[in-house]
Amino acid sequence: MAVLQDLLGALGLASIYLLFALGMSLTWGTIDILNFSHGSIFMFAAFTAHLLIPGLPFGFFGIALVCIVVGAVLSLLVQVVAFEQIIKRARNRNTAERQILIGGIGVAIIPLAIAQEVTKSNPFGFIDSGFEVTTWTFMGLRGTNILIITLAVAAALAVGTAMWLRRSRHGLALRAIGVDAEVAAMMGVDRRRLAIATMAVSGGLAGLAGCLFTYTLGAITPESGDTLLIKAFACIILGGVGSTGGVVLGSVLLAVTETIVLTRTSGLWVEAVAFGLIFLVLLVKPSGLFGRKEVRRT
Amino acid sequence: MDWTAVRLGRRGAVAVVAAAALGMSACSSSTGTSSTTSGGLPATVNVVSINPQTGPAAFAGLAANKGYDLAIKEINDTKFLGSTTLTLSKVDTKGDIKTAASSASTAIADKSISAIFGSVSSQEAVAISPLVQQAGVPTIYTQAGSDGVVVGDATYRATPLMRSYYSLVKKYIQDKGWKSVGIIHTAAAPTLVDIGTKALPAIATELGMTVTTTVAVQGTTQDFAAPISQVLASKPDVVAILLVGAQNPTAMKQLRQAGYTGDVLGNSGASAGNLKPAGADGAGMVWPVDFNYQQKAEASQKFVKAYQAAYPGENPLNYAAEAYDAAWFLAKSIKAAGSADRGAIKTAMATVAKEKFDGALGNGLTWKDRDIQVPGVMIRWDGTGDVLLYEGAAN
Repeated sequence: MAVLQDLLGALGLASIYLLFALGMSLTWGTIDILNFSHGSIFMFAAFTAHLLIPGLPFGFFGIALVCIVVGAVLSLLVQVVAFEQIIKRARNRNTAERQILIGGIGVAIIPLAIAQEVTKSNPFGFIDSGFEVTTWTFMGLRGTNILIITLAVAAALAVGTAMWLRRSRHGLALRAIGVDAEVAAMMGVDRRRLAIATMAVSGGLAGLAGCLFTYTLGAITPESGDTLLIKAFACIILGGVGSTGGVVLGSVLLAVTETIVLTRTSGLWVEAVAFGLIFLVLLVKPSGLFGRKEVRRT
Repeated sequence: MDWTAVRLGRRGAVAVVAAAALGMSACSSSTGTSSTTSGGLPATVNVVSINPQTGPAAFAGLAANKGYDLAIKEINDTKFLGSTTLTLSKVDTKGDIKTAASSASTAIADKSISAIFGSVSSQEAVAISPLVQQAGVPTIYTQAGSDGVVVGDATYRATPLMRSYYSLVKKYIQDKGWKSVGIIHTAAAPTLVDIGTKALPAIATELGMTVTTTVAVQGTTQDFAAPISQVLASKPDVVAILLVGAQNPTAMKQLRQAGYTGDVLGNSGASAGNLKPAGADGAGMVWPVDFNYQQKAEASQKFVKAYQAAYPGENPLNYAAEAYDAAWFLAKSIKAAGSADRGAIKTAMATVAKEKFDGALGNGLTWKDRDIQVPGVMIRWDGTGDVLLYEGAAN
């Protein structure tokens, strides 16, 4: 039973990693934007909801909606104000990618600084939000209502994203951009519009992850997004950039590995073992478990 | 306690210190002798607080600055130094070690600065200490609980090492009759590693308890479900959670969700309202701390009233109380030195530190190896606020 309990905990952790990583993977795998402000957007969405709660006890769906909207708007702003300008001015694609990476880190500092200034880096949560995290027991297993919601949302969004990318016209267009943006443009794909929409969806996912993560942990800090950023980066690399299935597998592998190490050792080895495992996988399969070989024209 | 969550690698720390030392020697060849008038107090004695006012440690740095401000206002208002005014300037390290080290270098090079109130951050303090010690600038830290902070006769720490008062938990453990304890501690804060791996196990041994298991977590850990599962599987009578501030509400919430309903031994990282986000799940965490605004010592209550008058609607945190005592210690040393000269103040500090005194941190305060010693108090979080359980005996 203890093993099943740990497995349930690991799946909960994997769901958080997945929700966070899904948005990053979406932009990285399609419009070539590795958005390092994703963690700040994640945090700031939850932070905004936290600020609004005292006057408006929204309940779970209200809080989730606020987080999604704030995340989407922030991400959209980052795209329009920062990344688009970088792409316009960059000499070539490689330069643009590097500058977007640095630009994302720079942009991330703004919401982080605001939240740090307001909270003085104290933890914040959703107290009195009108939604209580309750505990249940089923056949000896213990969990919470937010764990069930997180598992369900993560599974639904992973399947939904994969289906949308694979079957919808927009998804096809996005994947076309991911393979070759120039050819996609010649085929009539409006890269700018799709990029903005993709960034907004990615930000919305970050906001939703922020909402669920805050409810799961009870409280987060302004720096919480930074830690998850590294984990999400690892999940995407492990699974393979551009593969939704890969992100799912990467998230599960990382969470299960961390849980095994944490429950079977003194705990100090958790990141060494988890990231060591990723290193080993990449030695054998550099493009990640589900990754494709990149074909890039010069 | 040492609030810091992330350690600077040894190589990084050496590089920062070396770079700051080079910078210092480049801008000044001073050996620490102040240009202020020796043999008599000048009209103004300048002191600088090098503390994080923004960034992850801002809560501690800002609270400390409030304590310094309050004490210095009292010192000046009561003309404790006669016609001499103590003037405090504040530098924001922004939680950046390089900024802290370069700010210390600037203060050392500025001959008008007589003393420094050092950073609450262990990482920053460790970078500052070799510089101020070499230059002979009297420096008093608060918090900054790691090794390498109090390194010589110029450096003092007005926060007691947690291990010096953590034994206050003994009475609580004995009253509860616990026979075993499971420990979760962060690996990122040296103070809490010390408590989790040495001080608390030693207390357990002394009281005939067994340590069922000890699990370390990284400073970056945010989900404690797995370590909690491991600790609860060992079936301890009581769980000890020794984590940095922001980790405490999450660990308490997850501990309750895992079915543990008993008390939890914690540390002062849970104070300052850090448990509020845990709501009712935070109730039942107990911890010893060097100061709480409810403690009954006359000098402590005098400080509390003065603080509440200066900052209406606020109760002082331990960071402010420590800083308040640090500022008064410096003022007494300046008075004893009768000079703003760094060397004279440093010598006077050694003399003043031999005397027992009453302060914000309680009655009968002493210094041991340039670390302050306090009676301490035991606190229980009831879900909404601190409840004072009992106080330690004065030295």
